[in-house]
Amino acid sequence: MDLRTVNKRRFKAEYAWGYLFIMPTIIGLVILNIYPLFDTLVLSLYKKQGLVGMKYVGLENYVKLFGDSLTWQSTLNTFLYVIYTVPIGIFLSLILATMLNNKIRFKSLFRGIYFLPIVVAPAAVTLVWKWIFNSEFGILNQFLNLLGIKGPVWISTPGVTLIAAAIIGIWSNIGYDLVMILAGLQSIPGTLYEAADIDGVNAWQRFFYITIPQISPVLFFVTVMRTMNSLKQFDTIYLLVDRSNPAFRSTQTLMVQFYIEAFQKYNQGYGAAIAAWMFVIIMLITVIQFIGEKKLVHYT
Amino acid sequence: MKKLLCFVLCLAMMPFVFSASAENISINFSIWDKNQQPGMEAIAAAYTEKNPDVTINVQVTPWSEYWTKLQAAAAGGSLPDVFWMHSNQFYVYAEAGTMLDLTDLNIDYSPYPEGVTAMYQYEGGQYAVPKDYDTIALAYNKEIFDNAGVAYPDDTWTWDTLLENAKKLTDKEKGIYGYGAPLHDQEGFLNFIYQNEGYEFKDGKSGYDLPETREALQFYIDFALKHEVSPTPQSFADVGADDQFKAGRLAMLNVGTWMMSDYTVYDGIKDKFDLAVLPKGKVRASIYNGLGYAGAATTEHPEQVKDFIKFCGSEEANIIQAEHKAAIPAYAGTEKYFVEQFSNINIGAYPEMISYGVPFPFSQRKSLWINTEYENLGAVYSGEFTLEEACDRMHQTITEVEAE
Repeated sequence: MDLRTVNKRRFKAEYAWGYLFIMPTIIGLVILNIYPLFDTLVLSLYKKQGLVGMKYVGLENYVKLFGDSLTWQSTLNTFLYVIYTVPIGIFLSLILATMLNNKIRFKSLFRGIYFLPIVVAPAAVTLVWKWIFNSEFGILNQFLNLLGIKGPVWISTPGVTLIAAAIIGIWSNIGYDLVMILAGLQSIPGTLYEAADIDGVNAWQRFFYITIPQISPVLFFVTVMRTMNSLKQFDTIYLLVDRSNPAFRSTQTLMVQFYIEAFQKYNQGYGAAIAAWMFVIIMLITVIQFIGEKKLVHYT
Repeated sequence: MKKLLCFVLCLAMMPFVFSASAENISINFSIWDKNQQPGMEAIAAAYTEKNPDVTINVQVTPWSEYWTKLQAAAAGGSLPDVFWMHSNQFYVYAEAGTMLDLTDLNIDYSPYPEGVTAMYQYEGGQYAVPKDYDTIALAYNKEIFDNAGVAYPDDTWTWDTLLENAKKLTDKEKGIYGYGAPLHDQEGFLNFIYQNEGYEFKDGKSGYDLPETREALQFYIDFALKHEVSPTPQSFADVGADDQFKAGRLAMLNVGTWMMSDYTVYDGIKDKFDLAVLPKGKVRASIYNGLGYAGAATTEHPEQVKDFIKFCGSEEANIIQAEHKAAIPAYAGTEKYFVEQFSNINIGAYPEMISYGVPFPFSQRKSLWINTEYENLGAVYSGEFTLEEACDRMHQTITEVEAE
């Protein structure tokens, strides 16, 4: 036996061990994610209503889906929600993280406070915000009143309600993004700043030429995660508006539409088609983001 | 050593295994209304007293999650042994064969409202025993009436009296509206449709093409849009209709029987409100609905489950239910025990209306079109559609879904 075959064998044995170690995760992924994914795609080609009976209908669900103005409305709502939440959310997290990265008093206390919304259940968050947004008794409109502004009826005015939902979304997620960005900021080597000081750069230059490129991997990660989570928005909006709310149509996202079809109307085949449409959207956006990654993200 | 340990453990487990199978049968009983939990537990206790070998666990799942959970349980073959059934959802479960056929229990259904019994029949079989029924009455705030000097509603009221008095009672400066007309089907617009001799759904057909139906909807929507004697759906989305009534901002509101256990203990309203039968349109009508006790086809103890359901439907259990203020018991003659529980309000208005009550329309495919009314009528309030357009759309959707 020459050395190559020995190495090959050892290599194979190590591979086997490697596979064995990742097996629990792989099994979990296949059973819980990958199989249901294909099952959903298959289901979207069937007419399945209620608990029994499936009939193959080809692309009928998709024809109906794309012919329904509601689908386009919820798709638009979903995108609007992303546009409202992602840039503003990340911008605010970045500012707050930069501030908390300085030597200020009660730093840990502030970090704790900003992180708090993450540990509260979304349902509880939404119910509390519902009262804050209440047009007559809510604290927000009372405050606006003091400033001489007549606040809108936040949770039932078409167009405004989605903004209200976005405010809740930004508020509840800022802590998570902030902690991620803060970790990124703290991993920037101090020598870079020292060198910059010697070269006599100003604060803005420091921020744009050192800080931003250094934390760009974190910013990218946070942006991808936040975008996906915003696209999947369900609980806040589901709890905020019900079917008798006049703003329902202009607020419901694709996930809410999916839930109503699949679980309230028992229209599972059609629901699966909505899920598949969601899947395509998320995939496209993620591909775009990864193309952007190559140009904008700087890995050291 | 290991073997010995196993053996000892197995031996130690034996008594548990045997006692579980031979002595005690445990039945899960799933409901959605927390207010009715004490009543259901009392029925369960009464049954266990007679059948000491059967224990019944009452589990409450809030309405918003109940059906999602039940649907998943039905698909997975793990439905609770006994559960409440609602007419809107019945067909989905009956069609799938997930419910225990109760036909051979040979219960005499004559004491129950005919409509409720019929709600739970599927292809000649009976799949749930009527539990209760509820109707819709007109609740009014006596204080607001006294302040405005308007006489309380009674059985002489018609649509015209309702509108006229709602106008008198409305005081926008104080934030008081004469009548609450939220976008609700069962408590709201359906009553008006039937009082106007229209219908929502009958014999497999949508009634949204009828002028009577449309006229009634117009009348209902105009409370908020034209006469401004009711808050708008926008306001109701902010603060629900029940909460607005309880806060003393509505002089009148259509309220279902099931809210009474709440209203009569709520400090802000319990001494201030009373009830009247619904005002008369062309005819009298009040939407009634009834729940049923159903069993799971997959239960391990079908005999005990059936026996328990039979007991739930008995006069005795209905009296227990009535005494816990839960709902108007389905068994004729036992409603007086329910009425007795409420001394200071005219609760009798509810059972009185059953004589001309209209069963809550149901169909095999209702769960598929139930949202269309909210979507389209909501768009009328927001000005997106005219009522004619909305009715055309609803008619089309319902007809299409039913034809599939």
